[in-house]
Amino acid sequence: MARFIARRVVQLILVLLSVTFIAFGALNFLGDPLVNIVGPLAAIDYCDEVEAGLREDSYTSINNSRGDCEIIGEAKADFGLDKPVIQRYFTWLGNIITGDLGTSFQTQLPVSEIIAQKLPKSLMLMVMAQIIALAVAIPVGVYSAYRAGRAVDRATSVASFGLLSIPNFAFGVIVLQFFALRNQWLPASFDDTSIGTRIHSLILPATVLGLGIAATYQRLLRTDLLTTLQEDFVHMARAKGMTDRHIMTRHALRPSLFSLITVFGVSTGALIGGSLVIEGIFSIPGIGSEIVTAVVRDDFPVVLGSVVVIATGFVVINFFVDLLYTWLDPRVRAS
Amino acid sequence: MTNSVAFTTVVDDIDDEALDDAVKKRLGFGFWVAISWIGLVSLAALLAPWLPIADPNEIANGAPRDGILGDNFMGTDALGRDVFARTIWGARISLGVGFLGILLGIVVGGAIGIAAGYFKGLTDQVISFVVFSLLSFPSLVLALLITASLNRSFLTVAMTLGIVGIAPISRLARATTIQFAEREFVQAARVIGAKSRRIIIKELLPNVLVPMGALTLLGMGISIVAEGGLAFLGLSVEGEAISWGKSIVDGSQTRDLNQNSHVAFVPIFAMFLTVMALNFAGDRIREYTDVRETAF
Repeated sequence: MARFIARRVVQLILVLLSVTFIAFGALNFLGDPLVNIVGPLAAIDYCDEVEAGLREDSYTSINNSRGDCEIIGEAKADFGLDKPVIQRYFTWLGNIITGDLGTSFQTQLPVSEIIAQKLPKSLMLMVMAQIIALAVAIPVGVYSAYRAGRAVDRATSVASFGLLSIPNFAFGVIVLQFFALRNQWLPASFDDTSIGTRIHSLILPATVLGLGIAATYQRLLRTDLLTTLQEDFVHMARAKGMTDRHIMTRHALRPSLFSLITVFGVSTGALIGGSLVIEGIFSIPGIGSEIVTAVVRDDFPVVLGSVVVIATGFVVINFFVDLLYTWLDPRVRAS
Repeated sequence: MTNSVAFTTVVDDIDDEALDDAVKKRLGFGFWVAISWIGLVSLAALLAPWLPIADPNEIANGAPRDGILGDNFMGTDALGRDVFARTIWGARISLGVGFLGILLGIVVGGAIGIAAGYFKGLTDQVISFVVFSLLSFPSLVLALLITASLNRSFLTVAMTLGIVGIAPISRLARATTIQFAEREFVQAARVIGAKSRRIIIKELLPNVLVPMGALTLLGMGISIVAEGGLAFLGLSVEGEAISWGKSIVDGSQTRDLNQNSHVAFVPIFAMFLTVMALNFAGDRIREYTDVRETAF
C-alpha cells in the first residue's frame, strides 16, 4: 500500500506540473502575453512613438501616478518576457507555491485574496449539490433496481434521461423563473446575512446542480445493483428468509457503490463547470461570477489564478477518490 | 441496455417487448423521430437566409416584449427582435460549432488515440500523460482557459470545443485500438508483411470508427451544451452573431425572465430537444453497434 501511495503521489505531482504548465501556456501562447499580463493597456503600441519622442507618455493608467509606457516597461522586466518560457514558468510556479497569484488589473487586490473571499461560497454550493445528488440518487437507484422494469423504474429512466439531456444552465433558468420569479417560493439571489440565509438562498442552485449529477449516479447505481443482485450471497440471504429491504440496504448496496465512487471524482469536474455557470444565473458571488467579470474586463491574472486553483483542486480531489477507491477494493491495488 | 434487460429477467418478470427489441436489435421508432428532428433543425439552420422569416437582428421588428402568441410568431425580445428568427439563426452557430468541434475532436483525438494504442511504448506513455493532464481540467474550465485570451470568432469557438473533446475521444480510440491490435486478423496482416500504415488504415480504422459513429452524435450534443456554457461566461462567439447559448443568456436577465420568459424558453426548448435527440440517437447507435458500455 505504501508503495502504491508513493507512486500515486509522484503521479499527482507530475500531473499538477503539467496542469499548471497548460494554464501558463494558455497565457503565453494564446494571444499577446504582454496584454495578458499588463492588461489591455499593452495593446496600444504607442510606446514606440513615445520612445521616439513623437508624443508624451499619457497617464490614463490604473493608478494615475505613472505613465502607461512606464508600467509596460516594468512589466516586461518584471515578468522577464525576454527569457525562455520554461524559465518563466518555474518563476511563476514558485510565486504560486508561495501563494502569490498576481494582482488584479481592475481592483489592484491580490488575486489570492479575491479567491479566498469567493471560493467558500462556490464550495458551499458544490457541497450542497453533492449532498442533494446522493440523497436523491441512492434511494431512487436502489428502488429502481429492486423493481427493475416496472413502472417506477421506467419513469425514473425517462426522468434521468431528460435530466442528462437538459443543460444545467437551461434547467437553472427554468427553475429560477418558476420557483423564484413567478412564484416567490425561494430566493432568486444569494443572501449573505447569516449561515441560515446562505443555505436557504443556495437551495435552488444546489438542487439544479445536484439533480444533474443525481441522474448519472442513479443510472450507475442501478446497473451495479442489478449485477450484485445476481450474486450467490444475495440468493443465500433470500433463502434464509431475510426481508427484501434488509437485503437491499444491508447486503447489496455496499458492494454496488464502487462505480459511484469512481464517478464521484469525475462528477466534481462537471459540478465545477456547472457551478461556474449557475453562479451567474443565481447571482452568487463565487469563483464563477468572479471569472465572468474578469473575462469581461480582460482581467487575466484573476482568470488564470482562478483556473489554477480550480484545476488543482480537481486533481487533488480525484487523487483522494482514487485512494479511497483502492482502499475499498483491494483488487485494484493488486493490478 | 442489453445487459440490464438480461438481469431484469432474473430479478423480475420477463419483459417480452424489451427482450424482443434487444434480440432483434432494431434502431426503433424513437431513433427515426430523433434523426428527423436533427435533420429538420439542420435544414432550417442551413437554409436560414432563404427562409421566409424576419431579420433576426432587426431591432423593433415587432413591439418589444411581445408575447409568444402575439403578432410575431413566438413573440419578440426586449429590443423587439423576432424570437423565432433568432432561434433559427442561433441553430446555425450552435449546430455549426457543435459539428465542427466534434469533427476536429474525432479526427485529432482518433488519430492520437490510435497511435497510442497501436505503437504502445513511449508514444503511448507520452500521449496518455498529455491526455490525462487535459482530462484533469473540468472541461468548461479548459474551454474557458483557451477562449479567454483569444478573439472569439466562429472558428475559435469551434476549435476550442474540438480541443476539449480530444482527450476523452482519444481515450476511447486508444481503448478500442488496444482491443483490436492483437486480434488474429491484425496479426495475419503483420505476418504477411503489411506496414504499420496499412494495418492502421485498413485493419484498425474501420473497427475504431464504429464506436466513433455513436460518439459523433453524443459529442455534438455535448459541444452544443458547452457553447451555451461558454455563452454564460461571456465567451461564446463575439459580436452580433446569434447562438442558442447567447439567446438564452439574453433572455435570462431578471426582468425579461419574469415578464417575458419565452425569450429564454424558446431557445432553451430548441436546445433541449436537439441535445436530447442527439443523445437518444447516439445511444441507440451505440447499442445497435454493440460496443461495450461506458459509464459516461
